[in-house]
Amino acid sequence: MSFLDVWYLIIGNPVLNVLIALSHLLSGSFGLAIIALTIIVRLISWPLTKRQLNSSRALQDMQPKIQELQKKYGKNKQKLQQEMTKLYKEAGINPLGCLWPMLVQFPIWIALYQAIMRAMATTPENLLDLAQRLYSWDIVNQAIPLSSKFLWLDLGQPDPYFILAIIVGGTMWIQQKMTQAPAVDPRQASTSRMMLLMMPLMFGFLTLMFPSGLALYWAVSNIIGIITQYFVTGGWGYLKFRSPSQST
Amino acid sequence: MKQPKILFLVIIALLPLILVSCISGGAQSARGWSGTAVHDGIIYVGTVDGRVVAINSSTGNLEWSYSIAPVTAPSSGFSCGQTSAPTAIYDTPVVDRDIVYIGTYNGQVLALNMLARSQNLSFPQKRYGEWEWDCPIENARSNAIVADLLVKDAIYVSSSNGRVYSLDKEFGDEKWESNISDEKLWTSPKIQSDTLYVSTFDGHIYALSAETGKLLDWSFKSQAGFASSPVIYEDIIYVGSFDRYLYAVEIGSAEPEWRFPQEKPAGNWFWASPIVNEGIVYAGCLDGRVYAIEAKTGEKLWEFDAGNSIVSSPVLMDNLLIVTDESGTVYVFDLSAELANEGVPWRTIPIGADVRSSFCAQEGLVYIRGEDNQLYVVDIDMGGVSWKVNLTIEE
Repeated sequence: MSFLDVWYLIIGNPVLNVLIALSHLLSGSFGLAIIALTIIVRLISWPLTKRQLNSSRALQDMQPKIQELQKKYGKNKQKLQQEMTKLYKEAGINPLGCLWPMLVQFPIWIALYQAIMRAMATTPENLLDLAQRLYSWDIVNQAIPLSSKFLWLDLGQPDPYFILAIIVGGTMWIQQKMTQAPAVDPRQASTSRMMLLMMPLMFGFLTLMFPSGLALYWAVSNIIGIITQYFVTGGWGYLKFRSPSQST
Repeated sequence: MKQPKILFLVIIALLPLILVSCISGGAQSARGWSGTAVHDGIIYVGTVDGRVVAINSSTGNLEWSYSIAPVTAPSSGFSCGQTSAPTAIYDTPVVDRDIVYIGTYNGQVLALNMLARSQNLSFPQKRYGEWEWDCPIENARSNAIVADLLVKDAIYVSSSNGRVYSLDKEFGDEKWESNISDEKLWTSPKIQSDTLYVSTFDGHIYALSAETGKLLDWSFKSQAGFASSPVIYEDIIYVGSFDRYLYAVEIGSAEPEWRFPQEKPAGNWFWASPIVNEGIVYAGCLDGRVYAIEAKTGEKLWEFDAGNSIVSSPVLMDNLLIVTDESGTVYVFDLSAELANEGVPWRTIPIGADVRSSFCAQEGLVYIRGEDNQLYVVDIDMGGVSWKVNLTIEE
């Protein structure tokens, strides 16, 4: 059994069939099915998300101490790093914890991309290929073929009006801004600002290249992320936070 | 600061991951699976590289070839700009006197004159009766023509834009257009008594006036979409569905006469159109089985498990039922022999290439286009491939 066979058995085909089944349950709307799947994925990854949000909240609380360390050891980067690591360790925080929910979602993104392209069956070859990947569930077979229309979008094609790209980029920026702690060092602050822009821009660009069904997943996922962050961390986090370098 | 560095690494890691997803699991491009037609000793077929070719059935020599303009479309995924690809052909050429009609996946119908093409004249030569019709909706991708039907003086074309068009056979003028579905139409219409019957992906069978294109009063609605083109036999429409059943629907009735299998559904879709002969429906299924079904009652007479999906419609030649499976094995059932009634093939002939195209048979020979873009001529009596020809032009 090749890697691809295992991939389709464990992730690819289950995502495809669940998506189609959801579509049937939601009045044949593939767009609503993608939104429902996004909510399911966010629920499954909730324990990781919660850890990330707690870390983020703790980091927020630790800002005065971090800034103090940055002022104290600003010129000795090695020492600063050591002290920061010590501080994180004492507080029981993993600053990289925020990456796990994203890493967990990578396979889902890939499976979703494949599922959208297959389920949309844009060519006769795709439709024929789809036949070999469907479970024998009535709910799945009765949903085929799916309609690719959702709002103004053709879910199998990129959004021609750039609206989704703006939504994806904008919501990703807000979500990142809410969690990214501002740096004191002007050079670090500049790097942080660049990173803050890079991800939203990249995903905005990907939205223009990939089927809007996938971008819909990103947009909804970001919006859910913003909402949960707002309620778990108790506000807009660093979105309203002015860094010391900005305030001076 | 380590966090941005890690984020940067994640971004870099993300790109190849998505790229891999594009390559290994994204959409398969449209290559086409044009069927074969034989007329006056010439085999006509569309090729994978976007050409219509005429091959002499006696010698295997190329009589003429016409290259359809390649499709230019915006690229998707990470590649930018526009890409050019050969025009895919799923339609089977239709031959009427000296004209070959064919529909293309970029939304065109072409009428090619054999003499003009053999002289390699520029296309279209109107004085030879050649014409080209472009589907009038802007987005060419959505106009794909997968099937058509030639009857008397008109060609009826189903398009991916959900419309059926009637074109004048002589000049290619559009007689009428009928918008019948929001979904793509990849099935061929069938005609009976000046009425066209069209099965749709949204689960309808519509009846249209062949003269005007107007929808007639009767239509049939199923819970699931229809996968195959309809077949009409004694006022009953036989059509395969995505719910893994084959339906028999009497024209004018709101309820199906029967659906097959009678209990649990088949192992996959009835993708290929069935054929009906002397009160028996022969249907190939993507579950790899051929079913012989009593046309009136829907009772199974026999089944044969080919082991591989059956994508092409079965063909009848005299008393022989010919079936190919996707792996390229040709099964011949002698319907006059007792064994056929038990679902035992008389001949089993592997051609060595995958087959998805519809095929034709004449005078003991079966003409099949393989997925490897070769034309195979199978001699049934000999029990093997008589000859084959590569349809790809060597540069």
